[in-house]
Amino acid sequence: MGRIVLDQVSKKFGDVEVIPPLDLTIEDGEFAVFVGPSGCGKSTLLRMIAGLEDLTSGNIEIDSEVVTEVPPSKRGLAMVFQSYALYPHMTVRKNIGFPLRMEKMAPDEIDKRVEAAAQSLNLIDYLDRKPGQLSGGQRQRVAIGRAIVRDPSAFLFDEPLSNLDAALRVGMRLEISEMHERMQTTMIYVTHDQVEAMTMANKIVVLQAGVIEQVGSPLDLYHKPQNVFVAGFIGSPKMNIFSGSEAEKHGAHTIGIRPEHTDVSMTDGTWEGRVGVAEHLGSDTFIHVHDTGLTDMITVRITGDISVKHGDKIYLTPQADQIHKFDAKGQRIA
Amino acid sequence: MSDRKLPRLLQAPAVLLLLVWMLIPLGMTLYFSFIRYVLNSLRRPEWTSPSLSNWRGFGNYEFVLKSKDFLLAIQNSLFIVCSILFLTVILGVLIAVLINKAFPGQGVVRVLLISPFFVMPAVNAVLWINMILDPVLGLQGIAVAGINEFLDGLRQIPVLGGFFSLWPEFEPVSFRATQTSAIAVIMMVTWQWTPFAVLIFMTSLQSEDQQQKEAAVLDGASTWSQFRFLTLPHLGRPIAIVVMIQAIFHLSLYAEIEIVSRGNGNKNLPYLIGEFANNNIGAASATGIFAVILANFVAIFLLRMVGKTLME
Amino acid sequence: MAIVAQSSKFSTYGRPVLAWGVGLLFFFPIFWMVLTSFKTDADAVKPEHLIFFTPTFDNYLNMTDNYDYWRFATNSVISAVSATAFTLFVSVPAAYAMAFNPSRSTKDVLMWMLSTKMLPAAAVLYPMIFLAKSIGLYDTHILIITVLSLINLPIAIWMLFTYFKEIPKDIIEAGKMDGVNTWGEIKEILVPLAWGGIASTALLVFIFCWNEAYWTVRLTTIDAATLSKLIEGNRAPEGLFFGRLSAVSTAAVGPIVVLGWFCQKQLVQGLTFGAVK
Repeated sequence: MGRIVLDQVSKKFGDVEVIPPLDLTIEDGEFAVFVGPSGCGKSTLLRMIAGLEDLTSGNIEIDSEVVTEVPPSKRGLAMVFQSYALYPHMTVRKNIGFPLRMEKMAPDEIDKRVEAAAQSLNLIDYLDRKPGQLSGGQRQRVAIGRAIVRDPSAFLFDEPLSNLDAALRVGMRLEISEMHERMQTTMIYVTHDQVEAMTMANKIVVLQAGVIEQVGSPLDLYHKPQNVFVAGFIGSPKMNIFSGSEAEKHGAHTIGIRPEHTDVSMTDGTWEGRVGVAEHLGSDTFIHVHDTGLTDMITVRITGDISVKHGDKIYLTPQADQIHKFDAKGQRIA
Repeated sequence: MSDRKLPRLLQAPAVLLLLVWMLIPLGMTLYFSFIRYVLNSLRRPEWTSPSLSNWRGFGNYEFVLKSKDFLLAIQNSLFIVCSILFLTVILGVLIAVLINKAFPGQGVVRVLLISPFFVMPAVNAVLWINMILDPVLGLQGIAVAGINEFLDGLRQIPVLGGFFSLWPEFEPVSFRATQTSAIAVIMMVTWQWTPFAVLIFMTSLQSEDQQQKEAAVLDGASTWSQFRFLTLPHLGRPIAIVVMIQAIFHLSLYAEIEIVSRGNGNKNLPYLIGEFANNNIGAASATGIFAVILANFVAIFLLRMVGKTLME
Repeated sequence: MAIVAQSSKFSTYGRPVLAWGVGLLFFFPIFWMVLTSFKTDADAVKPEHLIFFTPTFDNYLNMTDNYDYWRFATNSVISAVSATAFTLFVSVPAAYAMAFNPSRSTKDVLMWMLSTKMLPAAAVLYPMIFLAKSIGLYDTHILIITVLSLINLPIAIWMLFTYFKEIPKDIIEAGKMDGVNTWGEIKEILVPLAWGGIASTALLVFIFCWNEAYWTVRLTTIDAATLSKLIEGNRAPEGLFFGRLSAVSTAAVGPIVVLGWFCQKQLVQGLTFGAVK
């Protein structure tokens, strides 16, 4: 079990309110991702759930029990830190077994659990090494192992992949998703990388300046961003967003169109522009178009390869049903 | 959470001890500085125990300010501390830059260099003033005598001897004399603390950005420009640290001054206080308060400098 | 190009020669003291025996008769060891609290602590003598141990604070998540991780205690007098006893210098108060 409810939770550091009161419910078994630009308060929120940071006001409930005043280790949560936070003076075996030892579990039971966790994480050959002798990916696994052995009601991940190189990151991403599928335990995952959010989450919580901008499934956020911020944050390459007369034509203050929802032609179309840089990925081509009179640059994404030259004249046509409209406050117009 | 109380509790013993250590003796000093209080007086035996009835107001302060030793002691305190700071920082930077690059025996040279820092001040002073600086029996005396003897020999040479007889006899310097004893103290303390500066600067140099230096070389910077515009600014913070720690230690210099000349011509404030404290406690206490004020000036300045870097 | 070639020539020959020269120059006074300690008092002041002489161990063998060396050395050991232990006992918990649970006043508290170190000892000399005499502690180990602890407490807390701050906060928090209490945090995580820092702090405090020459000289007469007092009392201005004085001086500083050699790197790092990496 692991249903986590935040009720009017807020945080001030001195006089600075980093998180104004907010409500949020994470259902049992959900994979929730907190995503947002750095400094948006997502890590603070996670640390408040963990009990590492006091609340300024509000309450946190885990499985209908108020845990606001409960110390971190008694909340039944396990956390994986960005820096892994392994104990450098202990072997892998000791590291993984440490929380169990603190619970005063019998040594042979600890051994059994540590072995089982190490087995599932492919760490069995490294049990007697110290963290300093492991690679980044292996350290990450040890940190996860230390969380798994406690059999927590929820896992908390604080940007766990940001210290890994790109290739490893993709692998670990899959492993964590796999782990969630297998265990069906609640997981809360903090990241600034929207790709991680989109690929792993059941529920994405987009934060900006301590405020929840939108909560929803990855595809909800992609198709129906509630406001300009979410629209710009989710999706890669970024959505093209601009205001002005073109937006007014659609009855909105601001409109947005994703690069992949714009058709391209060399002969005619709605908007006219000049090709800047074209990035050929093979499977896709990203074209950065200038001089459209709409905004500095519009990015379009075309499946497959297309041959354009820098400076070519180009025509763009947005797919009418894919235009996102926002009012003057940046909120979505239904 | 209970997380708040425990840290306070853990700090409490240290804070309380230091508070008591600071307040009680300092309060007594303040009190003594306003009363007539001497250890021995046949004429006025009532002055030999501290009592409010012997109130003297600012009399002790006036007495101290008027005594010619006081001004000399302040000048001398500052002269000694500033000279030592100046010398140790300059020598420290030069030596650190010299030995920072790898060369055969670097480790041994480091060990040789650091050694003086661990010598106890009393031994340092005894060693320097006797075995090295003594004008007759010390190395100085022996060296000067040797040079004079050698010159004497040269004077015996026909023709050329005439030239050398124009040379004067060398006089060894007595470092226990009024004019020179401060120099002796500066010399021995500089010897002891330059190693400290060197090691701190070396630690800092090792963290210097090598790519920045390479970029500077490509930009055509000379060795001197590299030192002036990259290395020296990089050393700013360690220099501040070296200055602060040394100021703490050298403002209260005592053993060296006592051993070199018993304060002859070379009293600093601590020494002057010690002298007063042989009988006139009132005056010693007033001088002590002046010393506290002086130290506070220095402290505010230094702590500001270092405080900024502390919590990063 | 000429400059590069020149500087590389300097690196090959000039730098080592100059560096060794400086190193030997700084070490020379210590070398000279040790050398003199093997000369008889008569030889020690004779120019013809400056370098060539018949070495003798008499100065060391007679240290007890000449100076009562062991009595002072024992006092030095007792006061320095006890003061170091007491200092650590008070400073480790304080530094731990400040490093891992800093409040807004922590910085000011640290500054204030260091400022007590700047309080001139001489300013409170007489009150200390007065207090010590009136409660009968003058010239006792307890007094010297207390004073040595107090004057070194600020430096110890600062050093430990900087060492503790190097421990990633994440690790302490991971410990919290894993269910360690405060005592466990100190025992299981802090001490094993900061062992080097704690050891070098202890060492430096020990060295400062051993070398202290203001309070130990002024607050003792004979019973608790340390080696500093012994040396200070035998300044031998007429230089008649250079040999035996060198021997007792060597015996007073030898252990500390050797100890310092082994730990110089860690010591320096701690003394920079974390401001130099």
